[in-house]
Order: sequence, then C-alpha cells, then structure tokens
Amino acid sequence: MAATKTGVGRITQVIGSTFDAEFPQDSLPPIYNAVKVTSDEKGIKINLTGEIQQHLGGNRVRCVALGSTDGLRRGLDCVDTGKPISVPVGKATLGRVFNVLGEPVDQRGPVEAEDYWPIHRAAPNIDELSTNTEVFETGIKVIDLLTPFVRGGKAGLFGGAGLGKTVILQELIARVASSHGGSSVFAGVGERTREGTDLWLEMQEAEIGNTGRHVIEQTCMLFGQMNEPPGSRLRVALAALTMAEYFRDTTGVDTLLFVDNIFRFSQAGSEVSALLGRMPSAVGYQPTLATEMGALQERITSTKKGAITSVQAVYVPADDPTDPAPATAFSQLDAFIYLERSISEKGIYPAIDPLASNSRILDPQYVGERHYAIARRVQKTLQRYRELQDIIAILGVDELSEGDKMIVHRARRIERFLSQPFLVAEKFIGRPGEITTISDTIRSFEEICDGKWDHLPEQAFMYVGAIEQAEEQAKKMVKK
Amino acid sequence: MANIRALDKRRKSVRNIRKITRTMELIATARFKKAMDRAAAANDYTQRITQIVTDLANAGLEVSHPLLAERPEVKKATTLVLTSNRGLCGGYNGSVIRAFNQTRSGLVELGAEPSVEVSGKRGITGLKFRGVKIDREYTNFEDEPKFEDVAVIADRLMDKFIAGEMDRLNVVYTRFTSISRQVAVCETLLPFAKPQVAATAESTGAMKADYEFLPSASSILEEVVPASFRVKLFKCFLDAAVSEQIARMVAMKSATENAGGIIKRLSMTFNRARQAKITQEIMEIIGGVEALEG
Repeated sequence: MAATKTGVGRITQVIGSTFDAEFPQDSLPPIYNAVKVTSDEKGIKINLTGEIQQHLGGNRVRCVALGSTDGLRRGLDCVDTGKPISVPVGKATLGRVFNVLGEPVDQRGPVEAEDYWPIHRAAPNIDELSTNTEVFETGIKVIDLLTPFVRGGKAGLFGGAGLGKTVILQELIARVASSHGGSSVFAGVGERTREGTDLWLEMQEAEIGNTGRHVIEQTCMLFGQMNEPPGSRLRVALAALTMAEYFRDTTGVDTLLFVDNIFRFSQAGSEVSALLGRMPSAVGYQPTLATEMGALQERITSTKKGAITSVQAVYVPADDPTDPAPATAFSQLDAFIYLERSISEKGIYPAIDPLASNSRILDPQYVGERHYAIARRVQKTLQRYRELQDIIAILGVDELSEGDKMIVHRARRIERFLSQPFLVAEKFIGRPGEITTISDTIRSFEEICDGKWDHLPEQAFMYVGAIEQAEEQAKKMVKK
Repeated sequence: MANIRALDKRRKSVRNIRKITRTMELIATARFKKAMDRAAAANDYTQRITQIVTDLANAGLEVSHPLLAERPEVKKATTLVLTSNRGLCGGYNGSVIRAFNQTRSGLVELGAEPSVEVSGKRGITGLKFRGVKIDREYTNFEDEPKFEDVAVIADRLMDKFIAGEMDRLNVVYTRFTSISRQVAVCETLLPFAKPQVAATAESTGAMKADYEFLPSASSILEEVVPASFRVKLFKCFLDAAVSEQIARMVAMKSATENAGGIIKRLSMTFNRARQAKITQEIMEIIGGVEALEG
C-alpha cells in the first residue's frame, strides 16, 4: 500500500483507551492508518501507536490506542505514519515472538524481514478459494470420529472457563505442529501470559519428527495478552493472520494458525465500542460484532495457492453458547467442538460433548460410509442414554426395558472411551499420550457398539488409545 | 443458563412423573395390606398341613409316596420363575432373574436338562432377551393369585414328576420374611422334602397325640402330600405377590423423592435463569437510554 502524504496532528481528547487528534485539513489521515505519539516529558516516556477508527468532523479523528494511554495528555504531537499498522512477514519471523505492532518481544534483536504487510487486507476473492475437502487427522479419537477436522479448514474449540480449551489447543499444536512440514503461527489473544510463555518454552524443546529441528523454528508467535489494552487484543489476531497469509500466498505450503482465544477479540471490540460512541447492542456487545468477526474469519481461508488450517479456542461466557460472541464465531467454522462442564465433572478429558459438537465433513461423501455410520451410531447411543437419564434419576436403572439397559451399558462405556491421554498432559496424569489412527478409532467404536467388549468393566475404558488397550487395562485391574 | 422454556417444560414433565409415582405408591400400599392378610392366612394353613404330615411321620409309619422319592440322578429339571406382570417395582424382577441365572448355571453343571416356566410378563421378556428358552408362560396371576389357578399348575407338575418327565422342580421367587426384608430365593419343591422327624418333634414339643388312621395311614398320605404341595406352591405365589407390592411401594417412594429433588434443582436453575434474563434486559434498556442521552 502506497504511503499517503503524512501530517502531524495534536491530541485533543483522551478517553480510556481511545484518543482524538486534530490534523491539518490537507493531511487528514485515512481510516485504519497508524498514528504515533512519542514524547519524553518529565521522565515519562510515551511511545504509543494508535489506529484511526473514525473521522469526527472538524478535522478531528478518533483513534484506538494499541498500547497503554498512561501519561498521555492533550496537546501532544501525533504523527501519521502514512500507512496502516504493518507487521514483518516471511522467513525472518519464524522462531520469533511479536507484539501486535510486529515488534519482537523475545529479546533476540531486531527482525530483518524482507517485507512488511499491513494488517488490514481484503479476504480472498471467491474464484481464488480452494474447493477440495480432505480430512485432517489429529490422532484424538473423539475429534477424528465425531468432528473430523478439514485440511485447510477452520475448527473451533468452544467451552466455558476451565474446561481445557487451551490444553486441547496445545495438544493439537504438539500433535500437528511436530509432524507438520509447513509453518505455524500462534496468536495469543487476551489469555494468560504464563500460558504463552509455557508454550514458547515447550516449542523450543519439542522436535519436528526426527529432523533434529525444533518446533519453534517453524513457528512464529504473537501475543496481545490479558494485561494489554483492548486495542492490542483487538488487532493481534489480524496481525497473526497477516503473517499466516504471507506464508500461504508466497510459499504455498500448508500453514497452521492457532488462535487462543477468539472470544477476547470480540470482547476487546466491545470494550472500545462504547468509547467510540457506538450504541451497545444485544448483551452489551458492539453492534458491529458480526462485521468484525466476519472480516477476520473470511480471511482465514484456503486458496488455490496454499492452505491455512486454523484452530481457534472460543471462550463461552457463563457456559451459555447462545451468547452473541460465541454464536457469531460458531457460524464461521467447519468443525465445531463444544466442551461440556458435566463431562469434565465426571473427570473425562477431553471434555468434548459428543452430541453438541459437529463437523461439516462428517458426511459419507468425505469420510466414507463406514466412518459416518459408526459416528452416527455412537451419537445415537449417547443421545438415547441422555434421554433416559431423567428416568434413571427418578425410577432407577431397573425400570428400563432390556434393550434400553443394554444401551445404557454401552453408552457408559463409550462415554469413557472418548477420553484419551494427552501428550501435553503426560506429567499430570502420569501416562504417555496416545495417538490413535482413524482406522483404529473407527474399529474400536464399532466393536463397542456391536457389544464385543460388554464384559469389560467401565473403568477399563478410561484414558486408553485403541480398544486393545482397554482390554489390557481390564486385565491389570483384575490382577490388582 | 439453558433455555428457560426448556427448563420449564422439563420441570413440568418431572412433576407429572411424580404425580404418577406418588399415586402408584399409595395404590401399592393399599394392595400390600390386602396381599399381606392373604399371605398371613395362608401361612397358618400351610403350617397346619405341614404339621399333619410331620405327625404322620412321627406316628412311626414308613412314609412313602412317589412325591417324596429322592431321585439319585437329576436329568430333567424344571424351574418355575415367579415375576410380576407390571414394572415400576424397582429391582424386584431383576433380582429374581439374577437368582434364576444362578440356579440355572447350577443345574447346567449337574448336567441336567433345564426346562423353564415363567409367570409374569416382566420375567418373560427379561428371560427372552437373555436368550432363555421358555417352555410355558403364565400371565394370569395378578395381585391376588387364586388357589384354583395355582392348583392346576401344581397338579400338572405333580403328574409330570410322577411320570418321570422331570426329576426336580425348583421355584425361583421372592420370599417374604418381613416388611423390610424380602429375598429372591430358589426353593426345591419336588421331590417333596421329607419331614424332619426329630427336629419338628422337638419344636412342636408340647403335645404328642396318638392318631388313629381310618381307613389307613397310606390312604391319608395319598391325600395329604399332594395337598401340602399345592399349598406350598400357592404360598410361593402369595409371597411373590406381597413382595411385589412392597418392592413397588419402596421403589415408588424413592422415585417420588428423587423427582422432588430434581424439581427443586430445576426450579432453582429456572429462577436463576429468569432473573438473569430480566437483569440483562433492564441493563440493556438502561444502557441504550444512556447511550442515546450521552
């Protein structure tokens, strides 16, 4: 994007994390341009970047601050950079950690990038989109069986507080990124800084396959965490996406994009929305909720040049999936994974709700007749079990018909068999992670549905990989 | 906060269930009293007739009757399983079926060829589901089993035993010991247990009458042993009926309580959701007004 004529303005008003500035009439910066405020007065150093959001009339513009507005005062100079916020892209970004402005924060010196791209870009045209659909194997039984991921598609992990969204996301990074040839981009949006640090350290240790190279060498990370102002959390996802887009468009390799947590993006938008003078809409969210989400999600897509496979965690406030923020994100995704509190309360992890979760490609056309039939059978059994739960709670299991008793018997085993030891949880549960192939998964569930393993105790199905391990576990339990 | 309307609907359905279970509990209580009286009455008769058989034995006679003959080898064993026609009685039928399974595996070990007769729809479906071949089904026994109906079965079984078509008759039913204790048991009715001379003599203790038998002791035995068997079988049916009512009473009582608990929980969630929604809407209105004013 060509730099426009730049000008110098003056701050006229500061409200929270937004500020107004007045520019000379002939050099008014356009919307989305970045402006910089630098000052060093009375020992207070200010180095703030803002993004123009509105033109107010009277040569005034309203900006969202992408950093802290502490110490800011009226009358300070405000310099138009002549272009939107731009982040470094390309090979040089791999292995590094950035903030929303594309500045490295890992204390490893400046980044010498071959190119800088503005974070606001148009979504790919309709004729550029890739149309082939392919299953993306994760080695996690419940995901592969019921909510298969799409290569080059988008998957969302929905869940309330403390259900393990971040753990599943990190697990996917551990499983996928470590066997993945292309580059990965991780965006930390409004989550705990500690988790980001942990992930960064882990990536430095983990190796890609047997190549002797570390995962971090193929990954770049961007953070705009909880402690940062809303402007930063609002834009860091776009910045990360821009870096991923570069890999997709220029190198053509498959790129992975992980976002934790996309809800914080909407939340940040709602925090600045009122300050920008928009009237709040449903549940106090910004009226532009859907627009903002659409602009972001439409860019996360696979084109004929290359694919971006993305996994996004979505926080569900108060466990209410009808809340506008998760509901808006929901419609954008290919695979929808819903984490359920009642399942996590049973100690079954990943706490994925097998009935509420879904995937666009759970269709015989993509996964094959057998996979589809078994997935539906598993869901049917669990659905019936859920329907019977009230009756069981009131009248007891003895009142069920023989057929229903059998369904309950198998459903309870299936429920437990959906758990799986994770690679990243190895130190917590004390057993190594399990990677189960899709064919093993399908066969195992088919055999359970057919009643081949009715004789094993329920506990044997907890935290195993393929069904043979459940058998082994049962034998061990008998010995004890 | 789940869907408010869904919560309300669920609460209503649980309320309806509670209404039914509470009514069932009351009915079961009323029927239980009746059944219990009948069982108590039959109890006296059974004791008396057993007494007579015992006395006959005490009279120093050589007690011999085809029904009393112990068969050295059990080739064909019939098991009669007493269950209920209707459900909603907790683990009543389940434990009878479990007891039956034990009996059956015991008989299979002996190498006997089992034949199964079942009374009660619940037992019939339950055993059919488990793949048990049922030779005869009875569904005509309700809360008050009639002696005439039981006698028909008893006579047929006796004939079968005497003809050698069966070597043993087991009855699996729920024995009523007290209001708080009923156990699913398997009792061997045929061959008819020989009266224990010494034990019964001591326990009855007080009076030992000398009997004169007319026309003869054996002809009386001929009458008394089958009658005693009929009564014993009838007693099994009565016990099963009482136990069923008690089981239903207990099951329905706890079901009513469980339903109450669920209603309480649902009401709480419902109220909370309703309140949250109201607060939410008020906040939105106020927010909107303030935004317009500002």
